[in-house]
Amino acid sequence: MNEVTAFWMLAAISVLGALIAVRKRNLVHGVFALLVFFVGLAGLFLLLLAEFIAVVQILVYAGAVGILILFAIMLTDRVTGRDAFRVTSRGSFWGALISLAVFLVILLPTIQDIPTIENPTPKETIVETSTVKQLGIHLIKPYIITIEILALLLTAALVGAVTAAQGGRASENEENNK
Amino acid sequence: MTLALHHCLILAAVLFCIGLLGAFSRRNAIVVLFSVEIMLNAANLNFIAFWRYGTNPELLHGPLFTLFTIAVAAAEVAVGLALVIAVYRHFRSVDLESLDTLKE
Repeated sequence: MNEVTAFWMLAAISVLGALIAVRKRNLVHGVFALLVFFVGLAGLFLLLLAEFIAVVQILVYAGAVGILILFAIMLTDRVTGRDAFRVTSRGSFWGALISLAVFLVILLPTIQDIPTIENPTPKETIVETSTVKQLGIHLIKPYIITIEILALLLTAALVGAVTAAQGGRASENEENNK
Repeated sequence: MTLALHHCLILAAVLFCIGLLGAFSRRNAIVVLFSVEIMLNAANLNFIAFWRYGTNPELLHGPLFTLFTIAVAAAEVAVGLALVIAVYRHFRSVDLESLDTLKE
């Protein structure tokens, strides 16, 4: 019963955070709601006994991605006026309609089966198998090539981000030097 | 009543559709970018839920795939925000409706 209460609270926090992040007109408030959503989701991961993923979620999303988005807002919008951060929406009605349609398409085929299906019970062995040590062993053994590709991707993304973000400025500097 | 698999799946579907709503109905490129992040996180919740209630949790497929997704999403958001800044430098705006040079 305790678990269910925690689930509903965390679900409410993450859904409200996501809704506010998406619908809020003030962009900075939206990003803070997004941080709340990330933390709520980390709590859900913790509830599902994936504690390492929960920590990574807070570290990467609430720590890095949120701050990065905040910096991008500060860099792109003029921080002078009150209306500078405001976002206008476009086709709100059609957006809501399409996402509602997708939601129903996902849920409708299965929703009548929910009372009849037998619930898969979570295994208790999960507690000792999901430690960081086990995770590391399973990460290295079959997925070593994937990790190397991922490292390459992250390096490429870093270099690409720097190049894309300062591309115009660099060429201007070269022209000035000539 | 205990916590069941379908609770997590329905919550993930709701979060995915909220992200979809944001990606469809906003004009600001940054809001669209973080709507995509919300959708990716909903997918992560599905991975973890299926791992927790699945048949072979000791293989740890769910957390491993979630780790890969998080790494790819981090790379995506870094490049995406760099592109947003580059677009802003060029057009002086991040409004997606104003980026219609290709149409002219």
